[in-house]
Amino acid sequence: MTDAALPLQSQADQRAIAAIRRKNAIWRRILKDPPAAAAALFLIVIVGAALLAPWIAPFDPYSSNMRLRLCPIGGARCPDFLLGADNQGRDMVSRILFGLRATLGIGIIAVVVGGGLGAMIGLSAAYFKRLDQPLMRLVDVLLSFPSILFGLAIAAVLGTGLFSLVIALSIASVPSIARIARGAAQSIMQQEYMEAGRAVGLGDGALIWRYLALNCWPTILIYMTLQLGQAILLGAALSFLGLGAQPPTAELGSMAADGRKFMSIAPHVSTLPCAAIFLVVLAFNVLGDALRDALDPKLRQ
Amino acid sequence: MARHIAHRLMISLPVLLGVLLIGFLLLQVVPTDPATVVAGPTATKAEVDAIRNDLGLNQPLWVQFGRYLGRVFQLDLGRSMISNRAVVDEIALTLWPTIELMLACLIWAVPLGITLGTLAARRRGTVIDRAIMALSVMGVSVPIFWVGLLLIQYVGGAGLLPFQGRNGPIWTADGFMSIILPSITLGAVFVGPVARMTRTSLLETLGADYVRTARAKGASDWRVTIRHALRNAMIPVVTLVGLQIGFLLGGSIVTETMFAWPGVGRMAVGAITSSDFPLAQGAILILAVGFMAINLLVDVLYAYLDPRIARG
Repeated sequence: MTDAALPLQSQADQRAIAAIRRKNAIWRRILKDPPAAAAALFLIVIVGAALLAPWIAPFDPYSSNMRLRLCPIGGARCPDFLLGADNQGRDMVSRILFGLRATLGIGIIAVVVGGGLGAMIGLSAAYFKRLDQPLMRLVDVLLSFPSILFGLAIAAVLGTGLFSLVIALSIASVPSIARIARGAAQSIMQQEYMEAGRAVGLGDGALIWRYLALNCWPTILIYMTLQLGQAILLGAALSFLGLGAQPPTAELGSMAADGRKFMSIAPHVSTLPCAAIFLVVLAFNVLGDALRDALDPKLRQ
Repeated sequence: MARHIAHRLMISLPVLLGVLLIGFLLLQVVPTDPATVVAGPTATKAEVDAIRNDLGLNQPLWVQFGRYLGRVFQLDLGRSMISNRAVVDEIALTLWPTIELMLACLIWAVPLGITLGTLAARRRGTVIDRAIMALSVMGVSVPIFWVGLLLIQYVGGAGLLPFQGRNGPIWTADGFMSIILPSITLGAVFVGPVARMTRTSLLETLGADYVRTARAKGASDWRVTIRHALRNAMIPVVTLVGLQIGFLLGGSIVTETMFAWPGVGRMAVGAITSSDFPLAQGAILILAVGFMAINLLVDVLYAYLDPRIARG
């Protein structure tokens, strides 16, 4: 379809088309970068496996069989367990699949909740100029604080467990997303259509939601993805310390902690969950770097 | 400069109050009634009520918070519910081992990170650059407890180095040997960010006008890099190292727990998992306050390195 066929194509339409082209360019750049493409592919497979864990896991991750206790990878005792058995004789493949599900799930919930809150803070700071200073001060404070301290403080007040873990990780995700959202929203605030919207009498709520939020969310979503790697790493560390997920929950950090007593006789029990965390976080970071480079034109040269 | 410091202090004040509020809340969730504990098992109800009145437990919460603040400023953080020793004394014992561990990590990880970052920037786009950057992204992604587990298993388990606790101050031979593995564990995740930041910052300064001038007057390649560019590139690196102190603190909590290192982090985790609320309160307070103090220090240092900051 040519431009001539669409004589009434508005400026807004053209802008939208340009935005889509830009977004496609980002994905093309990522696909041309072999490590980033590999990371993206790996993550798709991993997220798929985690989602489908209840259906594709060969065994029940919680059913133990003491005769198969600490069976090594490829051990004759457990021919059906591809990656051996843990200290309760549970299948490691199934444990890791369910562990990925829990670890990724905790990270995603935390980043969505915390990121959502952060996005609201960022958008409000950009829209209501009077709130900018106080809100961003708060964000600076949160950002400067080591996130593991939130984990400690919340586990201390609310007790250890998944609920505290998710809250701590959510708080840890608020500040960086708030900054990104504010930056994105500030550039939108200068657009003419904001002025136009106000002129036709739209209220603050409508302007923020329909104009600001809907235009910012792609950027915010990308940064939420980047944040996920950090959230997963922190969550695993807190669970490893015994402040998050508790055994027998199949969660990678808690599995690693559970298996460390057997490092000398059955290193696979602890090492496999650690390796899984490492690979997932690495993939998020590699993809994140590529996305950041693609989004930041200054680094493109 | 003085104004800058005063300004920073003003900003930290509300944060400090927030941290203290968390500490206060922690003492509120203690499941036992302090008045009953003080009165002893044989006390009548009237006696318990009298003690409750004496302790101020009938006052509104904000009055109690005020009293709590007063006690904290007199360094009275209560007693551990398990060891029954004063929390302040417990903290005093653990503070130095934590500082020691962090210094033992910074002393080799920062220079190594800066060297690797410089090398990567100088050899930009080559295999060396890619290898260093790949290593650094791996360093950022690895769970610190995995590094610790592997070192404990394959270096400690082989009897090469001790991995259980602190065998004395760092300047004694035993103490020095016992800090090696924890310091490597903690540093392994710290080299990467420093190398990355040095590379980015150096690449920016290598393109600056004064670097071109230095080249034009005939200075050698490495001389330009080190004397002219690296010096200016150090400012963001110093900030980064400062900002990463929080990261280091997080890592040290895991490292201390794994290596039975008698520091504040291990004490905090132990207190939380054993529901020793007064000790947990004290440990979290000291971690937060210590962190804020370091941040303030870095901020002042930064303003000193780059006077534009203090004026801005």
